[in-house]
Amino acid sequence: MSALVAERLSHWFGSDPALDSVDLLVDRGDHVAILGENGAGKTTLLRILATAIRPSSGKLEIMGLDALRERRRLRGRIGYVAHTPGLYPALTAAENLAFFCDLRGADRERVPEMLDLAGLSQVARKRASELSRGMQQRLAIARAVMHDPLLLILDEPDASLDAEGPELLVRVMKDRTTVLATHDQALATRLCQRTVVLRRGRVFGAGSRLRVVQ
Amino acid sequence: MRFATVAVAIARKDLMSEWRTRELVPALAQFVVLALVIANFGFQIDSHNASAIAPGVLWLALVFAGLIAFGRAFAAEREQATLEAMLMTGAQPAAIFAGKALAAGLLLVVCEAVLLPALGLLFGVDVSAGLVGAVLLATIGMAALGCLFAAMVAQLRARELLLPLLTLPLWIPFIVAGGQAVQSAMGGSGAFDQAVKLLLDFDILFVVLTSLAARFVLDD
Repeated sequence: MSALVAERLSHWFGSDPALDSVDLLVDRGDHVAILGENGAGKTTLLRILATAIRPSSGKLEIMGLDALRERRRLRGRIGYVAHTPGLYPALTAAENLAFFCDLRGADRERVPEMLDLAGLSQVARKRASELSRGMQQRLAIARAVMHDPLLLILDEPDASLDAEGPELLVRVMKDRTTVLATHDQALATRLCQRTVVLRRGRVFGAGSRLRVVQ
Repeated sequence: MRFATVAVAIARKDLMSEWRTRELVPALAQFVVLALVIANFGFQIDSHNASAIAPGVLWLALVFAGLIAFGRAFAAEREQATLEAMLMTGAQPAAIFAGKALAAGLLLVVCEAVLLPALGLLFGVDVSAGLVGAVLLATIGMAALGCLFAAMVAQLRARELLLPLLTLPLWIPFIVAGGQAVQSAMGGSGAFDQAVKLLLDFDILFVVLTSLAARFVLDD
């Protein structure tokens, strides 16, 4: 069964097309990597899939729901790691997670578990502004999965992560449908079964990881 | 219930951030006191004209302090990309807006706690409960409107210019009714009760309208 069906998704910024008739089908449990150079439209596509922005045209269905009409309902089932971590610098790592627990209606008791998952238990009481960029990214990833989402949308989650970063991604992606954008082909090959290559807003190629990389 | 939980969580987060960074309130408090000092020298205040001039000075200081306080409310969220993170939780945009407006309004109330005693001291006017009540009532509606427009312009480069241009015309009802209530509370002419009722009506009207508009401003 399909977790995500996108048909002819297009998006313009003014008169410039950022996405042009992109079709995408992701089955439940699939891990799909979106590859492409800077400006290829990866972030725009992921923001649309995460329901952060509406496409200029096209259809999008996520978990059987119309993503353009049921945005709020879907957001409860989607975990999204954006390009920037989006944390509150004056709050500690634990307070940041607890705050987003309150907003999601999730149990605050999950905070230590999430900090442990991200390897941040030692810095739970440090303010987000005092964390390294990699630690902030880990915190953003922990926040994205604290409500147990069915679909995970990750926009360059490996940015600033250390050598153990991919292990964290493997843990959070396990048993979850995932769409991941990255520049790192090796990471895409390691984490995902399928790859979609974007170029100038269009799907340039798609298929199994080995074929596309070749 | 969930609406209130989200709004309170956001207001608490904003107040905690301000308490730790002390970015806004100390500067605003200094600003309002300086405004009163300058007005005190500029208008040559004496016991005869103080109660006539003080309400105007009070509202001028309050309006400009409000513009700064409400302008910061959403600018910081946009800069840190945290507004999107909040919206992505599926929380109601109206609840997010209510929390932001509540926090910004409370920060302005803290400034008012400095402004009103300073007004009493420098202008020699009686800071009565009626005066405090009228200012607090006006703050509610001003916070709702100010935060809505702050959210609208937060993404724009010219936001510092646009926020007053959009907000000030719609604050005029609060300044007129509030000015009348304050003048009356200071022993001047005018019907205090009527002005306060008008303030209350404006509060209800603008809180409802801004809550309805919040979804379109924040999320669409």
